Amino acid sequence: MVFSAKTGGSEEWKAVISAISTLVEEATFEATGEGIAFRGMDPSHVALIDIAWPNSAFEKYVCDADVKFGVRIDEFSKLIKRSDKKDNIEISISEDKLLLVTIGKNKKYKMRLIESSATDTPLPKITYNAKVGVTSAEFDKILGDIQVVSEYLSINANPTKAEFSGRGDSGEAIITLEKGMPEMPELEIKEDSNATYSLEYLNSIVKAVGTVAGTVVCEYSSKMPLRLEFKVANIGRIHFYLAPRVES
Amino acid sequence: MKFSLVADTLSYMENTTKRLELTQHLVDLFKITPPDIIPKVVYLLQGKLRPDHEGVEIGIAEKIAIKALSKSSGISIRKIEDEYKDTGDFGQVASKILEQKTQTTFLSENITVERVYETLYKIAELKGARSQDMKMKYISSLLNDATPTEGGFIAKIITSNLRLGIADYTILDALSIAYTGSKENRPALEHAYNVCSDLGKVSFAVSKNGLDALRDFQVTIFSPIRPMLAERVKSPQEAHEKMGLEFASEYKLDGERVQVHRQGEKIVLYSRSLENITSYYPDIVENIGKALKSDEIILEAEAVAINDDTGEFLPFQELMHRRRKYKIAQAVQEYPITVNFFDVLLVDKKSCLDLSYAERRKLLEKNVTEDTFAKVMPMVLVKSDSEVEDSLENAINSGCEGIMLKQLDSPYRAGARANNWLKLKREYRNELGDSLDLVVVGAFYGRGRRTGRYGALLLSAYDTEADMFPSICKVGTGFTDESLDQFYQILADKITVKKDPRIQSGLEADVWFDPEVVIEIVASEITLSPIHKVAMDKIRKGSGLALRFPKFTGKIRFEKTSENATNIEEILTLYNSQKRVVQDEKIN
Repeated sequence: MVFSAKTGGSEEWKAVISAISTLVEEATFEATGEGIAFRGMDPSHVALIDIAWPNSAFEKYVCDADVKFGVRIDEFSKLIKRSDKKDNIEISISEDKLLLVTIGKNKKYKMRLIESSATDTPLPKITYNAKVGVTSAEFDKILGDIQVVSEYLSINANPTKAEFSGRGDSGEAIITLEKGMPEMPELEIKEDSNATYSLEYLNSIVKAVGTVAGTVVCEYSSKMPLRLEFKVANIGRIHFYLAPRVES
Repeated sequence: MKFSLVADTLSYMENTTKRLELTQHLVDLFKITPPDIIPKVVYLLQGKLRPDHEGVEIGIAEKIAIKALSKSSGISIRKIEDEYKDTGDFGQVASKILEQKTQTTFLSENITVERVYETLYKIAELKGARSQDMKMKYISSLLNDATPTEGGFIAKIITSNLRLGIADYTILDALSIAYTGSKENRPALEHAYNVCSDLGKVSFAVSKNGLDALRDFQVTIFSPIRPMLAERVKSPQEAHEKMGLEFASEYKLDGERVQVHRQGEKIVLYSRSLENITSYYPDIVENIGKALKSDEIILEAEAVAINDDTGEFLPFQELMHRRRKYKIAQAVQEYPITVNFFDVLLVDKKSCLDLSYAERRKLLEKNVTEDTFAKVMPMVLVKSDSEVEDSLENAINSGCEGIMLKQLDSPYRAGARANNWLKLKREYRNELGDSLDLVVVGAFYGRGRRTGRYGALLLSAYDTEADMFPSICKVGTGFTDESLDQFYQILADKITVKKDPRIQSGLEADVWFDPEVVIEIVASEITLSPIHKVAMDKIRKGSGLALRFPKFTGKIRFEKTSENATNIEEILTLYNSQKRVVQDEKIN
């Protein structure tokens, strides 16, 4: 079996690891001929991450047989943090089941792998009636603005505008983005939609990957899960799913 | 097995205080529980994950539980805290909050007993920096899928607030009825429980193989035995009536009862409540190996703090300095102990529980080689009220809190509080207000750091009428290295070849002095004593008075002659004017 994957810099791995670390402590990656994939759900079954990292995004990629490898995210993260921004990172798996990580020209790490306990996580099947693309800087700002008064975010979108709002004990906040504003490059509405999500989850994922993504695309339907798509250069896509909060 | 079955039973049980009904609810639950799940149910009913001696603790701070509840319900922490302040019952709050739950999830499963148990077990094992956060997430995952009723009980279990009012015996009753058809068989279950201290293990065995399985339960090393307890009596007379003709009187030391398990090099110590306390006593682990003849042995002992220089027993509070997590080595240095063995429960793979006290005592003496650290508990045989009284006074003056009286033919009844063992303490403790000036009449050679000097001094008061110096105490506490040197020099001139005829004492000192040097002493109280001769027969026939926990204040009364020392009349006045403090019964 030959598997090795080399990135052009270290930012990609840093983004992937920080995204995953918001949900789980142990992660199982799957490498195939097409690239590296990860899918995992947090222990409370509220959020899910789905990462597809195609072979074309790597500087060099070889995989002649499918392989799964499990890591402890905190251990892997510490190691990747030892890289500079421009350092290549190459990973492969040794015969004695160690993850070999080469950082830059001369740094080589070996890390123990863990038994992967992950079961297959099915993706939620949803029809999305609303699609709202917001620049990641603006999205991060909106979350911050809402958090002042609330622990959750409601998104209410129609063909002309998207309203982001929150309500708490101390009061309410509303941020409105009109169609055509530069902060909101995309607004596609099949049906007016309104739904509410936990800010805690949104904040941690946006803090983790928002900075390297240009735009954040929110897709959702009324009282249905939200899918955030982060487009990160040199990583295909990171999808973050979040179950809604529904007033009973 | 659905967790809702357990939650329903818990709800029923919370609504009754009648033991019969409580038992019946448990019986109904046990009957529908498969054998491999029964131990988990039994532990959870007690708010535990494993028997206490294994030290697996759920240990969730309320703060974390509230955070998890907030995460699962989508309701703010502040609102939950307010609700909690109003009702004060965390389980109720959790149920109420979960009814208003707004956060949906991608997967929802009916929660099972197995999942609850395994999740809590994972939580108990989590350690390290991010563990608090992970604990919170695990709890939240349970609460997400729990009904409000289930969630309420999970919240109670994790915060140790599950109070069903059921003792181990109710569970044993219910197991007996559910799996053997009758409560009559409880003694068989109880026996199994007493030797292994693990209700989960007993429940599994009896649910799978019925009564036959219980016969296999044997005393095993590293599985603590539930201790035999003593009844309390108020007077030597009462003790004598209950005990019969001749019985044993042991010191009851003011220390910690320790069950010592040894197999070769490995030594594990259990407390009276069967928690593993090995880490507090590295000195026991290190030192007792050489005192024990057998490689495979279970003993009971009292660990007690001592004055290392004199071997005197010190009060319980001193020993409690050992109960710490850090700097154990330093505590071992500062608060030295001795281990006083008083029973043996297993030797060389053979249980001793069914042997009589007399036989066990013989085995004990055979198996323990006494040294400065390991001792055999002092014991005398007594036959009469006054012999009991004497042994009590003796014990009190040695720094004990009382005596243990034991029937010579009784077996070791694990887990039982039976009248084969009695404990006799004083009803009152006295409080001595004033210091005394006493005459140094003799000395005992020191050991340890005091080798080559005096370790303790024998002191007397002055009997004005008879012009005699009756002894009142032996003191080894309160001396500094300097004062010891000083005493050695001052007293060197006073040594006499024979005891001065005016000195009266039941103790044989290593060195006798001319009664000339007077020193100041404080003590916790004046007590009766069969050894010391002050005020002999004045309070009680055959007893004198002695000082308990005497301590040198550091003052040598050079200005006083021995005839100016505290006299008998003054001591009698002090004795009679002592404040009597009702002994608070320490839960032992």
